[in-house]
Amino acid sequence: MIEKFIHRLTADSSYKKQIVHKQIMPPQKPQFGTLDKPLPKIVQKYLLANNIRLFSHQAEAINKIRKNQNVVIVTPTASGKTLTFNLPVFEVIHNDQNATSLYLYPTKALANDQLKVIRDMETQTGIKANSNIYDGDTPKHLRPTIRNKSRIVLSNPYGIHYYLPWHYKWKRFLQNLKYIIIDEAHVYRGVFGSNVAMVIRRLLRICKYYNSNPGIIISSATIANPKEHAVKLTSKEFEVVSKDGAPKGKKTFIFWNPPYTDDSKVARRSTHQETKDLLVQSVLSDLQTLCFTTSRQMAELITRWTKEELYRRSPLLSKKVTAYRAGYLPNERRAIENDLKNKNLISVVSTNALELGIDIGTLDSILISGYPGSVISTWQQAGRAGRNTKESLVTLIAFQNPLDQYFMKYPQDFFEKKHEQAIIDLHNPYITLGHVMCASCELPLRKNDNEYFPELLVQSIISLEEQNIIQKTPKGYVYSGLARPTEVVNLKSISNRNVTVTCDGKTLEVLSLNKAYDEAYQGAVLLHQAETYIVEELNLKTLIAKVRKEDVNYHTDSKKTVDVTISEKIQEKGLKPKFGFGQLVVTEFYHEYIMKTYDQIIGRRPIDLPPITFSTVGLWILIPNDIGEILNDKGLSFEGGLHAVEHAMIAIAPLFAMCDRRDIGGLSTTIHPDTGCSTIFIYDGFEGGIGISEALYSKIDQLFVKTLNLIKNCECENGCPSCIYSPKCGNENEPLDKKAALFILEKLNN
Amino acid sequence: MPVVYACKNCGTRHSKSHYAKSRLCKKCGRLLLSQFITARFNTENSTGNNFSGKKPFQNRFSSISAEYFSLQKAAKNLFYKTRNQKAYSLFSQNELEKKPETKENQWWLLHIEHKNAQKLKKQLMKKYKKKSLEQTIPGKTISNTHGDFYSINEISKSEFNKMDYRKCKKNLLSDLKILSGIGPKREFKLKKDGYSSIKALENHPLWKKSASNFMNLINKKEIGQLQSHLWKNHPKSHPLIHYLAGLNKTENFAIVDIETLGLSERPIVLIGIATLRKKAVHTSQLLMRSISDEPAAIWAFTKKIHSHYSLISYNGRSFDIPYIQQRLAYYGIDCQINNPHFDLLHFTRRALRHKLRNCRLETVEEYLNIGRGINIPGALVPEFYQTYQQTGNVGPLVAIVEHNKQDLITLATLFSRLYEEWNS
Repeated sequence: MIEKFIHRLTADSSYKKQIVHKQIMPPQKPQFGTLDKPLPKIVQKYLLANNIRLFSHQAEAINKIRKNQNVVIVTPTASGKTLTFNLPVFEVIHNDQNATSLYLYPTKALANDQLKVIRDMETQTGIKANSNIYDGDTPKHLRPTIRNKSRIVLSNPYGIHYYLPWHYKWKRFLQNLKYIIIDEAHVYRGVFGSNVAMVIRRLLRICKYYNSNPGIIISSATIANPKEHAVKLTSKEFEVVSKDGAPKGKKTFIFWNPPYTDDSKVARRSTHQETKDLLVQSVLSDLQTLCFTTSRQMAELITRWTKEELYRRSPLLSKKVTAYRAGYLPNERRAIENDLKNKNLISVVSTNALELGIDIGTLDSILISGYPGSVISTWQQAGRAGRNTKESLVTLIAFQNPLDQYFMKYPQDFFEKKHEQAIIDLHNPYITLGHVMCASCELPLRKNDNEYFPELLVQSIISLEEQNIIQKTPKGYVYSGLARPTEVVNLKSISNRNVTVTCDGKTLEVLSLNKAYDEAYQGAVLLHQAETYIVEELNLKTLIAKVRKEDVNYHTDSKKTVDVTISEKIQEKGLKPKFGFGQLVVTEFYHEYIMKTYDQIIGRRPIDLPPITFSTVGLWILIPNDIGEILNDKGLSFEGGLHAVEHAMIAIAPLFAMCDRRDIGGLSTTIHPDTGCSTIFIYDGFEGGIGISEALYSKIDQLFVKTLNLIKNCECENGCPSCIYSPKCGNENEPLDKKAALFILEKLNN
Repeated sequence: MPVVYACKNCGTRHSKSHYAKSRLCKKCGRLLLSQFITARFNTENSTGNNFSGKKPFQNRFSSISAEYFSLQKAAKNLFYKTRNQKAYSLFSQNELEKKPETKENQWWLLHIEHKNAQKLKKQLMKKYKKKSLEQTIPGKTISNTHGDFYSINEISKSEFNKMDYRKCKKNLLSDLKILSGIGPKREFKLKKDGYSSIKALENHPLWKKSASNFMNLINKKEIGQLQSHLWKNHPKSHPLIHYLAGLNKTENFAIVDIETLGLSERPIVLIGIATLRKKAVHTSQLLMRSISDEPAAIWAFTKKIHSHYSLISYNGRSFDIPYIQQRLAYYGIDCQINNPHFDLLHFTRRALRHKLRNCRLETVEEYLNIGRGINIPGALVPEFYQTYQQTGNVGPLVAIVEHNKQDLITLATLFSRLYEEWNS
């Protein structure tokens, strides 16, 4: 069926060789495993009744869990991870009538979905656990009952952050806590992940206080560093289970590159239009298809276009297509999930909201409209099709940006490439300090708490004491600040200066000050949930940005000048070229913004903001000056070359560390006062650093190779959005010189 | 020294006016750094202590100095952030009348009250400058297993009225609706049939069991259990629940009010307890001279509150007692406070809501014609205590202790007045 469909596509007259690669993954037979000792009879009966036989990875994980080992399970979507941790949990809850377990999910939707599964298991086995969700949506009158009665509680890290100071109300639950399950742990990375790691340490500290030592079970999508990630997240030792025993059908993976619009080979056809065409074709071929888009707006638009086109051919089919995204009401979402499972819908266009483990059954075809930013996400999305032995098709449609185009040129890089690392930084002083402060209001801090905060505890205590936020008493350091600490620390951002964006007195979102300078200056068009707002005022004293809702047909780009100084060198390597890594002080001065309709500049306005300075962590590359001289002799621009290399390196960085290119900043200069030499800087765009540059620094050689390949194999002549143009450039992509960049990179690679 | 902004890229110097205008170098267009950073670079470059590699190699994780510097900066940020999140917001009387919703949500404070309190703080600090705590507030230091604290004992004159035992029993027993399953209709019918009280119902074939259970509780004077029994069919503010006080002796009531550094999760600075006699109130205030005193004082409080005490408080059911419970857990002291509890806020809301503009204790005092000597708004206690901690001047403490004592005495009066209100 899949072969036929591909044949039909390629035979069509409108086909312009968009398929640049076709990878076939052979089917895999199931591998079963056995348990070292049998489960309780009541649980065995449940497995028999549901005709479940444990796969090898499930059995391996359960055996390890029952030996009191902490386990991290890394297997693809739909390989039965939920069952793997539900079985030991139900076993212990059956054997010990007080035992409790805590499940942590990154989103409320996921917790709701899993509660159904757990409750269903409760009724089928007859083991009573009173499972319940306890989060911000839990009604007040139910809360005491859940705290006192429930033995399985589902929650999320945000909730735990707020409930920890009230640990005495959870005494029964914490005293008997046997397992903590952390599902979808790959989501906990970057700033959010570093904050969650601290919350989990705080939770374990409270568990210790109540004399419980829960086992930890972590599940994650395939990442390059599951063990390291789990250890960093929880500060415990872990065993990895990664060999997947679940059966798989034959899967065909095709890379689809939109064709050039003309012979100048600069612009390609819109990715969204290509997606729509493919989706229509799939629906007409009766393939149940799930299409992933990168934004909510596109999910809605592609749905609309597809419906319109289908309506012309078959009005009945057009009703079987719908969009799905966060922001829909929970019952609407449930309905879509069920319709998808029951095959009442033939196609759903979704944001990555459907990427996490919500159960929607199995599909025939997946369309990924634009590389979702990481190999991990791509495989997660691809895993939505072809469960069991069913044949399936996955299509990745490229955007015209450097990373997407890189994969179109080097498809093998995608398939052979290891998954990215999930990065957590336990050394960010802003994050650590905030959580040490929170910990001090849960239990007095003692010096032996460095078991939980081994990185920066002692220095944090001194710093907090200096500011009178904690006070030394015979019982330990006691919190004595004025505000409620959990309200000062925000898990989604680094605990520093944040700007609150308000519209008519209501809070829309909270931005870090850096982001606010970039996106919420006076006059800026701010996008929030695909609606446009105009910023009326950015008040730096109160840290409030006032916006008004207005439909405009232009967007704004800020222009900035960046200056970087090295405040401390931490490590250096290489001779020619020389690389360094250390603490930087970055000063950004936003001076102007440009109003654009599509790519047409319609106006320029000055920004009246003082320069912003923050300290962060970054790497630098010193380019030998003789390269500049050679380039000048050749009549090429050294400055343009450096600038182009900087852009391309930042664009390719997400290959190595799971991040967004907007999380990284850069600067290139022909002479830098701190180094006395031509330098390219790449730094984390977060106060205190978040570990991205550190990961890049350790793989700097590979970074150069990939950057060179990217630029070398781009078909454009003088640079294009697929290689050296950056959408976020503060200098409007001036000057850029592709040939000079190639020359520099070739020299660097030698 | 003239203010000079040098471009550290090309060295061109610029005037301050130029810097104010554009902040970019005239020659090379790069960013001009602020004076401080420029100056730092000049010195670093001139001493040769710059990048060219004289510093020894440092591993990131052992470089304490740089991280410590960032931590210090981060701590300063946290300090400003916590300071800016005030526990109260300031309103003028007009604003408050315009926006009634703020009354409910915020711990608000009137501008004028705030101003007066600041004036008072200044006066007190002047008056008690260089005076020790013992000279200013007579009391004594008390020690126990968890440390020591400062205790202030005093006897004040006050009337305390409550329903007497017989009347209380009569009132309770004549309301058949207390038993679950009996509504107004059925009560009417039962009374017509001659079952005039719950005691009589002990002979009724259907209600025999629950009636005798209830009688049992009354005879045993189980106030706590009776309260939860009554809550099933009555609102928490129902006068009947207030009447329950009649079951206990006057000496077995303890009024509780605490002063804290915030609304939750922060230390308690003063615990006020008042025990009652017919014509007097014995107040005993446990003061933390510093935060180190807190565990000892809380421990002493739990020892003082015997199980036969009934507590009286204002909003203590949702604030004071859970707060103390949280602090106990914080210090790892295993103790449960399960005393019967009369929260006067509930009763006041029911009885006086229509007569008052709000139910703050200050407003209630105005209505009851109770005057105060030294007074500060409760929301300002954290600020006053911090001033005491920072300066060591005991003046602000005088205001806190006095405020707390007055609260305790007011509660005793309020309790009696509520009784009178419902019995006139």
